[in-house]
Amino acid sequence: MTLSQYATLMDTMARLSLKADASRYFFGYVWWVLEPLLYVLVFYVVFELILQNRKEDFVVFLMCGQLAFVWFSKSLNQAARSILGSKGLVGRVDIPKSLFPLATIQEGLYKQAAVFLLLFAVLLAKGYTPSLVWGWLLPVMLVNYLLIVACSLFAAYLVCWVFDFHVFISMATIFLMFTSGVFWDPRDLDPAMTHWVLTLNPLAFLLDAYRQILLAGVAPNAVHLAIVGSVALLMALAGLAVLRRHSRFIALRVITS
Amino acid sequence: MLELVGVSHHYMARKSSFDHGLHHVLDNVSLRVMPGDTLGIVGRNGAGKTTMLRLMAGIIEPRQGVIRRRAGASCALLSLGLGFQDSLSGRDNALISAMLQGVSKRDALASLDAIREFTELGDSFEEPVKTYSSGMRARLGFASGLLTRVDILLIDEVLSVGDAQFRDKALAAMQQRLGGEQTVVFVSHAEGQLKALCDRAVWIEQGQLRAEGSPEEVIAQYRQPVAASR
Repeated sequence: MTLSQYATLMDTMARLSLKADASRYFFGYVWWVLEPLLYVLVFYVVFELILQNRKEDFVVFLMCGQLAFVWFSKSLNQAARSILGSKGLVGRVDIPKSLFPLATIQEGLYKQAAVFLLLFAVLLAKGYTPSLVWGWLLPVMLVNYLLIVACSLFAAYLVCWVFDFHVFISMATIFLMFTSGVFWDPRDLDPAMTHWVLTLNPLAFLLDAYRQILLAGVAPNAVHLAIVGSVALLMALAGLAVLRRHSRFIALRVITS
Repeated sequence: MLELVGVSHHYMARKSSFDHGLHHVLDNVSLRVMPGDTLGIVGRNGAGKTTMLRLMAGIIEPRQGVIRRRAGASCALLSLGLGFQDSLSGRDNALISAMLQGVSKRDALASLDAIREFTELGDSFEEPVKTYSSGMRARLGFASGLLTRVDILLIDEVLSVGDAQFRDKALAAMQQRLGGEQTVVFVSHAEGQLKALCDRAVWIEQGQLRAEGSPEEVIAQYRQPVAASR
């Protein structure tokens, strides 16, 4: 299978799956925007109405973090089960196993495009104006994507190897949600703690980068971004190599699971 | 074209937590398939036939022994519509099926109408596969598998389902393919089909090769213990 065949197949699988997914729901494609909106609404009710958070423009702050985080967590959790969920195909054709997580991530990428448009619409409505700094969103999104791919490939492998890992992965996602500054600002912490949170947790750094760009109009730390991106890229390549090398072992695990 | 040398296979399947449960599937099987051969495989349910096809297709690896395939030979496994995504239409499933076998998207799209026609599914071809009966799934699986050109075709029970009219049509389509260089390995419980299609047959019992020869001889030997055990 050539690289272009692989890419076309991955994209076709993602598009058809989106189509099938939309046809299952009465509201179809509307859910792409409705679901993230509902997420934000829940947090708004909890933090703005019940806990009466004093932070300025808290809903926009929340959206920047939450929408990017959900992109990561949903893609990771769905990709983790994607190979195991394609038992029928895995038992019938000898294909690269990385196709399944990557097609799942591609599906999430299409949905995320709609989500980012929603975010921009809200920002414009709230009076934020686009500036040149917004150009930094592209590398930040790219690094975010690489991080999703890197984590998902290993997660998918581990879940095929020992099914119990999927419990661990959803636990890890919850842990990350609380430690990545989705609904609190790492910059409000003690400066030393801010430094540690942003350094140790690449996801916290990315969420903060989105906010810095969109809300404060400040470019993220380019060196930090490049380091996170390079590590994620290396991990993703390693993940591809592992899935390729153990392709038949994975097939056996999936068929006999 | 395809050779199995001393192939053994077993795997772990848990029956309960903390258990490994070893299952032996194939035990020291050797056989050879020449170009243009049509080899039939008979055996009871659970004898290891499907595993053998999966090993031949390179989907899984044997624990012991070697499987040699002629360099560059393409290979496809046709089995009952397990590989379908239920929420996708027959058309979309056929498209993915063809692309998975290495057909380019353009060629795959071009072959869809021929597949639709062969399946005789009519408007159901555009409906989700979850609405299909097992016979309809078999039609879709057979048609989308048959239209792709491969060197070695591995067929798992596909011809045993569906109504009589479609079975005849599928059988005729198979016979058309069999002339010439097409190499086929064929698993079936339909003895008439085996006799009609295959030039050689093997009988697998409890993971071991029990008999090898002309389809008539092998089926006769296979029938004996079945008849005796009754």
